[in-house]
Amino acid sequence: MAKYIVKRILMALFTVFVVASLTFVLMKAVPGNPFLSEKEPPQSVIDALNEKYGLDQPLYVQYAKYMGGLLKGDLGVSVKMQKDYPVIKIITTMFPVSASIGLFAILWAVLVGVPLGCISAYYRGRAADSGLRVVCTVGISMPSFVVASLLLFIFCGGIASLKIFPTIFQMGNWKSYVLPCFSLGFYPMCYIARQSRAAMLDSLNQEYIKTARAKGLKTGKIIFKHALRNALIPVLTYLGPQVAFTLCGGFVVETVFTVPGLGRYFVQSINNRDYPVIMGTTIFLASFIIVMNLIVDLLYKIVDPRIDLGKESA
Amino acid sequence: MAENKIKRAKFGSLQPDVEDVIAWSELTAADFAPATSAEKDSFIQDRPSTSYWKDAWRRFRKNKVAMVALVVLVLVALFAFVGPMVVPYSYDQFISGAENLHPWHYTLEDQQRVAEELAARTGAAAADPETAVEQAIAEAEAKGETLSSVDIARIRASAKVAAESGSEGEATEAAVRKDLGIRAHIGGYSNAELQRKAAGENVFPHLFGTDRYGRDIMVRVMIGTRVSMLVGLCAALLVLIIGALYGSISGYFGGKVDAVMQRIVEVIYSVPEVLVILLLSTVLGDALLEYANTHTGFIANMIPVLGKNLISMFLAFGLLYWVTMSRIIRGQILQLKQQEYVTAARALGASGARIIRKHLLPNCIGQIVVTTCLQIPSAIFLESFLSFLGVGVTTPMTSLGSMASEALEGLWSYPYRLLFPAIILSVMILAFNLVGDGLRDALDPKLKK
Repeated sequence: MAKYIVKRILMALFTVFVVASLTFVLMKAVPGNPFLSEKEPPQSVIDALNEKYGLDQPLYVQYAKYMGGLLKGDLGVSVKMQKDYPVIKIITTMFPVSASIGLFAILWAVLVGVPLGCISAYYRGRAADSGLRVVCTVGISMPSFVVASLLLFIFCGGIASLKIFPTIFQMGNWKSYVLPCFSLGFYPMCYIARQSRAAMLDSLNQEYIKTARAKGLKTGKIIFKHALRNALIPVLTYLGPQVAFTLCGGFVVETVFTVPGLGRYFVQSINNRDYPVIMGTTIFLASFIIVMNLIVDLLYKIVDPRIDLGKESA
Repeated sequence: MAENKIKRAKFGSLQPDVEDVIAWSELTAADFAPATSAEKDSFIQDRPSTSYWKDAWRRFRKNKVAMVALVVLVLVALFAFVGPMVVPYSYDQFISGAENLHPWHYTLEDQQRVAEELAARTGAAAADPETAVEQAIAEAEAKGETLSSVDIARIRASAKVAAESGSEGEATEAAVRKDLGIRAHIGGYSNAELQRKAAGENVFPHLFGTDRYGRDIMVRVMIGTRVSMLVGLCAALLVLIIGALYGSISGYFGGKVDAVMQRIVEVIYSVPEVLVILLLSTVLGDALLEYANTHTGFIANMIPVLGKNLISMFLAFGLLYWVTMSRIIRGQILQLKQQEYVTAARALGASGARIIRKHLLPNCIGQIVVTTCLQIPSAIFLESFLSFLGVGVTTPMTSLGSMASEALEGLWSYPYRLLFPAIILSVMILAFNLVGDGLRDALDPKLKK
């Protein structure tokens, strides 16, 4: 167990390292000079700036400095959107907004998706099952921007009688959170419902369920105590990356609903070509996702002691 | 006679059939003559043999949902590939005078009636500012006074405001239409086009309306669908090639090769791909543009043709998305390489490449086809996502994602600009998903629950 944990942590660290190196390489591949603007400054100014930011040194020295900076949480400064403002500060102010929306989104996705999957599996082949399957199949075929924009149109003024929610996002107003959370969680909800249905069907066919039934256990107890526990494992597999990604803010959902979160800021920085912000946010979000994956991997052992950690995960 | 024998043969009995043995003495030389070709045919083949694909197709055809999805997919493909030839507009054509058209129109006579009714209701206030000024001057002269320039400006301004509120007031126009019982007709026409139509010309309607530059939305949706489909197919093929190659090599050679290759896969697997793709599309796009501007040669010439963002998107696919495919194929190969026919091929001296190509890959073709097919919708998803965020397909080319993002600007007045691409996109992804599921059930019946 300990060996496995150490191995997984090392692996995660290595992945973060790969992502960070990749961003460094890409940053160097960006054409032009970060100080170039419409007006070309004199060569002496460029030289001075290069010296100030250490860009006159050989590439490996720059790389070492960059990596050292990362270890200290220094992600550089914004060059365009908020000039000379540290990227790490932008992230720490924007991330909580995204995280709060993401948290609610993933909560509703799990709390609704898993029971729907169970209901669907229990009533297999009946009208409830067919209806839920249609909804979920359609749900996983709709890109989040379609769901988000349609909801925005329907509930924020496009249809006058249905204008329930405000068009512009306001911090602290619970009504502003409803639609972003709903649309962010819609795709995961459908996916989770599908997965838990399949897993539930699988475990309902197991021998131990028959045994439990033969012993005369109540249906509710059979489903929730015996079948559901095993059915949750595949859901957990999916949840790891998804939790992280949802918490990071659906880039699209935040853009559509003008939520002042990290996701929208990231999209804006892409459109403005503010490279340090793009790089810094990527490294931050990537590390976050990798850590979440690590936690989920380790959680397996607790949920299902049968999983042999020494063996490679299939 | 021989046929009779076969019918009477008792299975499961070791006792020789006495009548059979007696019958042997009756055999004549003619019974030993070579069979005629007609006899051979009936002997070898009682009914046509079913191949793997025929069998799969039979199973697929029984699956109603998958068949409907396949038909929908064919219709969408026709819409995307044949449609632009039928519609006389092109996706980057600015039709002047046809900006911001709705997908419906009112006939010229109806418009005339509405305008008259409106004029009657709002009265002279809606008159042209200059005529209002002239009227006022005439009135003043009649009274023997002259108007100061300040007065004239005031009259002109108030007339202007009245005129504008009259013509801009959509609500009042709508109310007038309702009162007059005027109904909209399908298809958007600009007034100039309506006049040409009235003159007997054949004018193609803007069935989906036009955008704010006067581009026909239907053609743009068609082209966008085409781009999405092509990107999906190409990306899936790219994933297939890289994944199959990597997975089969890793699975077949095993040992240290496999260990190293699987470590690489693990790292790529844990890289958050959406982020890296966003990053790659952004940064590589600029780098490619720079390269195209400063270099010459085949690659540099190809960059503007394909579009920098499209290339970086495919690069990202080639770098990151083949991992799932390679894992599936590796798993299959690991099972298959234990089979006797592989040992036999190796004993006959076949090289590793030949065994993979001729023996292993054809035997996991079902899995490969299913995985490739299910890769298409996810590629379309990603393409539309990137285009929506503005790092996908570049203007003047269009895609369903970028159309949806453009539509957000005028969402309240022109919701159908979002609706049409969104519906087509969702239907297309849904159909690909359902066809993929159907293929999985048809090609791999063991998996079906």
